[in-house]
Amino acid sequence: MAKIEDLKEEAKKLLREGKVKYIIGYGVGSNGWMANPVFVKKPEDVDALVWDPTCVHNLTRFLVDEKRRKGKEKQPDTRPVGIIVKGCDSRAIVVLLQEKFIDRKDVYILGVSCEKAGVVDEKKLAKKLAGKKPSQIELGDKDQFIISTAEGKTEVPVAEILAERCLECKANFPVIFDLMSGDKTKRTPEKPFGSIEQTEALSPEERWNFWKTELDKCIRCYACRSVCPMCYCDECVVDSINMAVAADTTAEEKSEKIKWIQRSPESSENFVYHMVRAIHLGGRCIDCGECERACPLDIPLRFLNKKLEKEAKELFGYEVGFDVSQPALISCFKDSDPEDFIR
Amino acid sequence: MAEEFEPRIVAFLCKWCSSAGSDLAGVSRMEYPANVVPIQVMCSGSISPLYIFSAFNRGADGVLVSGCHPGDCHYIKGNFYARRRLKMVKQLLEYVGLEPERFRMSWVSAAEGTKYTQIIKDFVKELKPLGPQTKLRRTT
Amino acid sequence: MKRTGVFICHCGINIAGTVDVKKVAQELSQHAGVVHAEDYVYMCSDPGQNLIIQAVKDKKLDHVVVACCSPNLHETTFRNASKAAGLNAFRCEIANIREQCSWVHKDRAKATQKATKITKSIIEKVRRDEALEALSVPVTRKALVIGGGIAGIQASLDLANSGYEVILVERSPSIGGHMIQLSETFPTLDCSQCILTPKMVEVSKHPKIKLMTYSEVQDISGYVGNFKVKILKKPTYVNKDKCNLCDECTKVCPIVVPNEFDLGLTGRRAIYIPFPQAIPATYTLDIKACPGLLPIACGKCADVCDVKAIDYDMKPQIVEEEVGAIIVATGFDLYDKENMAEYGYGKIPDVLDGLQFERLCSASGPTKGQILRPSDKKEPKEVVFIQCSGSRDPENHCAYCSKICCMYTAKHAMLYKHHVHDGQAYIFYIDIRSGGKGYEEFVQRAVEEDGVLYLRGKVSKVFEENGKVKVWGVDTLTGKDIEIAADMVVLAQAMRPSQGAQELAKKLKLAMDKDGFLAEAHPKLRPVESVTSGMFLAGAAQAPKDIPEAVAQASGAAAKAITILSQERLFHAPTVAKVFTNLCTGCGMCVEVCPYDAITLKDGKVEVNEVLCEGCGTCSATCLRSAIQVKNLSQNQVHEMINACLGG
Repeated sequence: MAKIEDLKEEAKKLLREGKVKYIIGYGVGSNGWMANPVFVKKPEDVDALVWDPTCVHNLTRFLVDEKRRKGKEKQPDTRPVGIIVKGCDSRAIVVLLQEKFIDRKDVYILGVSCEKAGVVDEKKLAKKLAGKKPSQIELGDKDQFIISTAEGKTEVPVAEILAERCLECKANFPVIFDLMSGDKTKRTPEKPFGSIEQTEALSPEERWNFWKTELDKCIRCYACRSVCPMCYCDECVVDSINMAVAADTTAEEKSEKIKWIQRSPESSENFVYHMVRAIHLGGRCIDCGECERACPLDIPLRFLNKKLEKEAKELFGYEVGFDVSQPALISCFKDSDPEDFIR
Repeated sequence: MAEEFEPRIVAFLCKWCSSAGSDLAGVSRMEYPANVVPIQVMCSGSISPLYIFSAFNRGADGVLVSGCHPGDCHYIKGNFYARRRLKMVKQLLEYVGLEPERFRMSWVSAAEGTKYTQIIKDFVKELKPLGPQTKLRRTT
Repeated sequence: MKRTGVFICHCGINIAGTVDVKKVAQELSQHAGVVHAEDYVYMCSDPGQNLIIQAVKDKKLDHVVVACCSPNLHETTFRNASKAAGLNAFRCEIANIREQCSWVHKDRAKATQKATKITKSIIEKVRRDEALEALSVPVTRKALVIGGGIAGIQASLDLANSGYEVILVERSPSIGGHMIQLSETFPTLDCSQCILTPKMVEVSKHPKIKLMTYSEVQDISGYVGNFKVKILKKPTYVNKDKCNLCDECTKVCPIVVPNEFDLGLTGRRAIYIPFPQAIPATYTLDIKACPGLLPIACGKCADVCDVKAIDYDMKPQIVEEEVGAIIVATGFDLYDKENMAEYGYGKIPDVLDGLQFERLCSASGPTKGQILRPSDKKEPKEVVFIQCSGSRDPENHCAYCSKICCMYTAKHAMLYKHHVHDGQAYIFYIDIRSGGKGYEEFVQRAVEEDGVLYLRGKVSKVFEENGKVKVWGVDTLTGKDIEIAADMVVLAQAMRPSQGAQELAKKLKLAMDKDGFLAEAHPKLRPVESVTSGMFLAGAAQAPKDIPEAVAQASGAAAKAITILSQERLFHAPTVAKVFTNLCTGCGMCVEVCPYDAITLKDGKVEVNEVLCEGCGTCSATCLRSAIQVKNLSQNQVHEMINACLGG
């Protein structure tokens, strides 16, 4: 069983000795059904760290913010940042390392294993609680979550409130870490891409209707982009709002900055935005589910990225986030790549 | 009499093979429908997924990408990357429900004027019954 | 403010017959930024070109679009005309409305509409074109040839005789390669050493050739016209200018090791000369065989050397050179007999490969030209030659044909019969490939004059029995199994790229094909050029071939190298990739995909070597941020072209 206590000693030591700048971890959530990200700077605050099935966030996005901050400083503090990661989150770190966005020495990775379960789907849990505020949620030994509220303990089978992506989990313990708590119990998912089976089984017209209904909801708030650790580009190709202007950007370049896609949330433009994002995440998305969680309109964004993850695996034998030395999906090819679609 | 629907197709042709093959079709005075407007690029490897999306966004009824046969790329291996990248694009477009016939890729060498002609004819023929592409087209 | 001029060519009736050129000109004159639009009957003619020149001057045009035939035909014509008018050549673009429009459509209205769209898309492109100048780099007018076999020797002589300095690097103590090991060459049966040694001497005496034997290329950096090479000169411990080849040192050397020149059939001393006509003419001390120099374990050779040529203090040297072109002629080795499970794993002493048999035939060889069995030194009366050993066998060995084996096996059989008049030669073959000049006649000579028996079939097993070498084969023409109790078996082993060629190719970043041979730029039309600009291929390193082909290819490679070395400066198209460093995150995906290794990652951003970049654009399509784009075919330009093509 992964316990935060296993990591607290190390965390305190790292902060005491000044080996890390701060530690990004999970703290008790204000609403009880979802943990909060916390930033621990002092060794005495380490006790605020928790680990339980409500730790749904992928904290690696904060590594992107950290790099941006360092980029602006004249004399940046080059010490690493400590971070608590689950198995899926650790794969995000692998991709960031693969793309040389961060160095290995920029992170001190404290891993936790989800062992046989995973994290909760906070929306399902909230529904289950129906307003009650839990004081604690833990994993029992009979494949159940034990929820403690003011009214006592309730047991809920894991399958009822487990996050859907955990059913397709490819790495239930961190694949890269400096210290890890919990067992390396490998759990091979029955259906590694089961969540999209239903969508794939629809006819093209039905699929179109499904996506049109969903993507028409999009208000282009870009929450999905803001929360994704792989969307670290300074300027998004579909959105020139923050055109990166350098000292040598000419007036002509500025005036010529074509917005090939409008920023308005119309159907056609929304489709392009989401398709470009999906394509750019092909071979990079590790299914942390944050985009879907952050979306204020409940658009099932996981289904889009999952499809390309499946294609990458089945067509090209490409698995994301396990091997730092592997080239990017689109910067390698095999002679056996399918070409049945080419005339 | 209702005007017959004429699909508008954008074709990305690599300079060294497919565009040359298209030129050969011209030199040989072959005949094919005028629905395709070609854009010459240096290599099929330079076709970004953004171009495909942009074409459909601007109202293309069909998009064709044509390059050198594998192993013959003038720039050695650009077409291999195109093959992988554009397969992903194709899978994604079909997944969101776009008719699979609308995005097409082909290998046309500089000697294959006949093949190019046939590809265009087939493409136009297969697109006509589908009608105009309205799903991804910008309306404003 | 953009001022674009548009010129629509009638091309007689080729275009105007189908496309309403006046309508196109009229419509485009209304397009944003177009200040001049006209049509003319033959734009490529002098008056046509003058229209452009005049319009550029009168209307102060900064861009020109000519809608006419394929750019393959007249892009240069119109770019030169624009240049003559004072406009940057790269701001003149061609719209193909003939081959891709008027010649392939019949419907006038549709063809006209399409011609307008095509031209509009080119207008949108040209509006965003930068004014570019062709890149030029200086050239170091010196060449490097790697490999001192017949191909390397020929290439060096051709280059040197054209007046260029050549550095010829050879890793063994002497040049000559495998050709110097041969006894006679087909189809003339010329003595191999007699025809090769004059060339070797010419190399050694040539004032323009710097011969570096017992040396290896360590490192190469730079690009075409400007390579920097580091060459390791291994110490021979013998001063070649003092050594007088008296041979006293070998008499006292206590060490005996297998002699590579005789392919293990004889031994040599630790201090040795590979063969009498070695160039340079000097002995060499093989430090790996010698008992040691630090401290001096033996020292006998230096003691007896009258002229004090032996110098135990010689040190390895790294020599740095700058060259403009490189020719790689690293040659071949034979596929190891140890791989032939069916034929005895290379362990049967009387089963030889082609080069070993060659040494037996040679008058200066281990048996002084007599054909004798290695096991008991007796003359073999029945010799079996097996062609295609290791070749044409995709399941177990090499899939390809090694090209020279049919010819040299016929030669070997003939030489055997010339040496052993009462011997019988059998050749097991699948096909006879004798396509060169005089080759077919040569093979017929073996059959008709020397009584060589050709058996069409493969040999399934070779093994020792009672002092003989048993051969189990089949004659498919009669359908019978054949068993021969031979005295000797000669295997025509497959030709492989030479040992160490792979490591060298990696250092030079040279592509190899699926069999490990160096990859040529185009199998039909560019057989001596590698994919890397400035590096050329010659000889068996590129593919199995015989001596005349190696010589021809070497001269071809030299000629190609001269196209670079003969120029003071090299010009390169400027439509290359450029990096928007503010967008680049240093992920390196573009570095991986570049076919020319033109992109490097430095300090978290990528840089493009403009001389190596060919402007293919693969990097641009790969970059997730569009941070690297090709000049004058940027992503913005393509988006605008797409819009115009769809009537927008």
